Amino acid sequence: MDPALLVEWLVKSGVIIFLILTGFAYLTLFERRVLARIQVRIGPNRAGPLGLLQPLADGIKLLFKEEVIPDKADKVIFILAPVLTVIPAFVLLAVIPLGPEISILGRSYSLSLAGDVNVGVLYLLAVASISVYGIVLAGWSSNNKYALLGGLRSAAQMISYELVLGLAFIGPILLANSMSLKDIIQAQSRVWFIVLQPIGFLLFLVASIAEVNRAPFDMPEAEQELTAGYHVEYSGMKFALFFMAEYGKMIVVSFITASLFLGGYLGPFVDKLPLLGPIYLLVKVTLILFFMIWVRATWPRIRYDRLMALGWKVLLPIGLLNIIITAILVILVGGY
Amino acid sequence: MTENVEVPKELDATIQSMDNRFHDIVTLDDRKSYTGYLVPVENLIDFATSIRDDLGYDYLSSVTGVDYFPEEKMEVVYHAYKTSGGGALVFKVQIPREKPEVPSLISVFPGSDFQEREAWDLLGIRFSGHPNLTRILMWEGFEGHPLRKDWKEPFFEEEKKPYKNRWPEGGVYRIEDEVPMGKNVKYPLGFDPQKWTPEEQTTFKEDMDSEAGDNGSNGSAMHTDQIVVNLGPQHPSTHGVFRMVARLDGETVVDLYPEMGYLHRNHEKIGERNTYIMNMPYTDRLDYISSMSNNLGYALAVESLMGIKPPERTEYIRVMMVELTRIVSHLWSIGFLLNDLGAFFTPALYAINERELILDIFEATAGSRMMCNYLRFGGISRDLPDGILETVRELVNERLPRKIDELDTYLTENEILRSRCIGVGVLSKEDAIAYSAAGPVLRASGVSYDVRRADPYSIYERFEFDVVVRYNGDVYDRYLVRMEEIRQSLRILHQVVRDIPEGEIQTGKALYQVRVPAGEAYGRVENPKGELGFYVVSNGKPNPWRYHIRAPSFINLTALGKMCKGEKVADVVAILGSIDIVLGETDR
Amino acid sequence: MTVLQIIFLGISVIIVIGALMTVSSPNLVHAALWLILALAGVAAIFVLLEASFLAVVQVAVYIDAISILIVIAVMLTRRAMGETERQINRSWLLAAFAAFMVFSGILSLFSQVPQLANTPSDLVESSEFYIQELGKALVNVDQSIIPFEVASVLLLAAMIGAIFIARPPERAGGDS
Repeated sequence: MDPALLVEWLVKSGVIIFLILTGFAYLTLFERRVLARIQVRIGPNRAGPLGLLQPLADGIKLLFKEEVIPDKADKVIFILAPVLTVIPAFVLLAVIPLGPEISILGRSYSLSLAGDVNVGVLYLLAVASISVYGIVLAGWSSNNKYALLGGLRSAAQMISYELVLGLAFIGPILLANSMSLKDIIQAQSRVWFIVLQPIGFLLFLVASIAEVNRAPFDMPEAEQELTAGYHVEYSGMKFALFFMAEYGKMIVVSFITASLFLGGYLGPFVDKLPLLGPIYLLVKVTLILFFMIWVRATWPRIRYDRLMALGWKVLLPIGLLNIIITAILVILVGGY
Repeated sequence: MTENVEVPKELDATIQSMDNRFHDIVTLDDRKSYTGYLVPVENLIDFATSIRDDLGYDYLSSVTGVDYFPEEKMEVVYHAYKTSGGGALVFKVQIPREKPEVPSLISVFPGSDFQEREAWDLLGIRFSGHPNLTRILMWEGFEGHPLRKDWKEPFFEEEKKPYKNRWPEGGVYRIEDEVPMGKNVKYPLGFDPQKWTPEEQTTFKEDMDSEAGDNGSNGSAMHTDQIVVNLGPQHPSTHGVFRMVARLDGETVVDLYPEMGYLHRNHEKIGERNTYIMNMPYTDRLDYISSMSNNLGYALAVESLMGIKPPERTEYIRVMMVELTRIVSHLWSIGFLLNDLGAFFTPALYAINERELILDIFEATAGSRMMCNYLRFGGISRDLPDGILETVRELVNERLPRKIDELDTYLTENEILRSRCIGVGVLSKEDAIAYSAAGPVLRASGVSYDVRRADPYSIYERFEFDVVVRYNGDVYDRYLVRMEEIRQSLRILHQVVRDIPEGEIQTGKALYQVRVPAGEAYGRVENPKGELGFYVVSNGKPNPWRYHIRAPSFINLTALGKMCKGEKVADVVAILGSIDIVLGETDR
Repeated sequence: MTVLQIIFLGISVIIVIGALMTVSSPNLVHAALWLILALAGVAAIFVLLEASFLAVVQVAVYIDAISILIVIAVMLTRRAMGETERQINRSWLLAAFAAFMVFSGILSLFSQVPQLANTPSDLVESSEFYIQELGKALVNVDQSIIPFEVASVLLLAAMIGAIFIARPPERAGGDS
């Protein structure tokens, strides 16, 4: 094995972990500040300039909290569950191209960990749904009715919305005639897929918010009904891991949305200055994240049975229809 | 309503004319300053059925007991009203103190359920025929009935405040430091706390569990288990320490009953040991969102006993404060209903933003933002400060209508709100009356009943306003009623700030120790949460003999189980939010 | 031994342990989790063979879809928490012997197939090519269209059956 390749992988892995961790930390701050602004408040601004040290303070606080494991919990699974939830968030980012290929010192580097995976989109779908396990097992192993209800709700919800998510994936795949994310992004060099796939984009947005359990689909952790749902018995760093998973997945889902529908790292002058790519991508991701926070600040929660009905009876047929229409159009007009 | 029965003579005639059956049996209560009728125990159910069906007194407002210790008898006092409006029909049952047993009226007025349990709990009056006569505010296993006059509180063995110094020579020794369960515990005879070891903690409501095991099928071919979930007492959306025991089949509520008393402090016992004026700040702590209107209810009851009326300016200030309180409470309620529906605090915070401005007014006039303690018997504690009327005028005429419209625009037509609220937690008109629901809950079910209009107190008959009614009885209608009532309150306030006269604020001299002649009085006001009633019995001493509160938050919960049956878990929270309880008042 | 072989052996050991624990674990939820571990090991082997499509499908279908249903079903049908009954009964030796015999039979059968005795040739074409071939084969009249369609009909029948069972009961006579 090429040692240089190994070093490259290590560096990229480090970058991804760093990206998710700081992203998670500062996304919480970003969310709190945005929520505060929307709610005519100021938000955390005491720790450091503009409250920039707030995530650090939160992290330290959580680290020093007592870790409580309920007496009748299934200890091994109880500890395993938060880990299982957090891993997919990290692993997912591996296939997403953060920018075009850049060359440094005569060697070209692709800006994604796994390079160009030809089944990238399928990989995303497969890995994303692994995190259901963490939630279900957390709910079950806590031996708490609220947690179990939360876990089951979440499992049912994620399974249902994964179908829609998968259907929404197919539109860009058909248009780009490839399952590789790099090809999909390149195919958008003329026009973004949000224009060609407006319904698919909306489906994807709704389904991905449901997939990451964010408001108004935050059933599993519905604070008002289930206190906190599946993580009601967790404390300290294990609790923080669940939060990390939620925010990590938010970030990843935003990356995916940006890549599939908003042209990923594409933007003006990217072909001349490749380093602009990641910046464009980050801007798009931030906008999507802002949208998610905005939704959370504004809307009440949809009731659980209506949520399932929405998924199965509305979104799924629309998704199927969207695919059929897209397929026919691709054959008639021709893809890229 | 300041007098209990405005026209006893005429009522007497109706009773006499209605049915000759009761002609000889029912007697007028002829004690001085007492009103109503004395009904023999054996005729109680007949009488109650008859006044409901023949006379139209279909709304049982209050059930409570009084312990007439010196006369060796107990009395159960009922206040019934017509939902079409008018004064009360008060009827009482007298029973011997040794064996106080009264037939339960739950078959005639289901709304008497919790109130009878409360009377059993606190006074030891047994209601025969009550399906579930258990303690409601005190815990099971509590020794004695605290509102009985011969019941002594452990460690505080005196009748009334101020207590004598328990350690006149110093050397403080507290028995409660020695016992494992802390303060205010009375043990059965021969019980030694040092040797006691608690039994294995049994799960809550095992009877419900076993019942679920027996017929736990939902009727379909698939056999599914039902689970019992305790929503509360520590739960983010019970608005305090309140527990709902729900039996769930999947996400559907099969059965639910409320369990309260976690915040119980025996407000009524405290009230009976305090002097009259000392109770005024305590009423603030009932429904702590709307302290001003609690003050008014209590002031009305005592003023009617004393036979005084406040001066004109004071009446206006009172109405102004009470209506501002209504706006505060309804804003709070709407905001937190949205929170219960899962909105992340945004509507609540916008509502609270306006509430703050009103609390500023309270702070300027009463000196406190929430625990106002503003009203006095025959007056108010101090006049409005300079310029505050201008602030109120600006708020009422300019800012609030605009902000209410803004809330209305964003919330009322919201698709998620509508889908979550419409058709959820329906309470029919008949049920609402039967369960003695009050306030917005009653009016959302199509009963146009507002004490301010049905039985005007203070100076409400002078103001022009509409009684807000909706007809579907669901969560959405309760929300709409509240929204519209804010507008009606603004309408009243508009007239108040226009007409408020200059003048005195206190009838007679402001006294720390008021003389209250012997008698009874029931003062009731339309609180934001519903009808708040104060039943006060005086025996001429400095402190009330009986001080009972008809708490709307408490009695509205009677219908909670009925509203929740068949709904989803998520809706339970919304339904509870739409009833709008404050635990300080529920548990008292 | 090459690095790949070591990795392969490691994964195989994990798969075998996972499979054994699946049948012997006293707790049903634990058994389901061991099963998932075994399935994940198979996915890893697919990755080793550079069959990334199969690996992803293995994860998506077996780990995500089927196993999660198993886990949920186990959680829902019985109070699995703390219920630890032995999964092994007296005749486990007999069963192990039978399983061993079947396994060795299969092994000996396979070893007679000449192509399998040799070391497999390297995968020359990119797996993308195989995906396309696979897709075409599924709808090709000469190849797999009939099994494919039969499977669809089977699934449809199963779905209708499930809906029929889960349907709310007829509300006859007004009572529930």
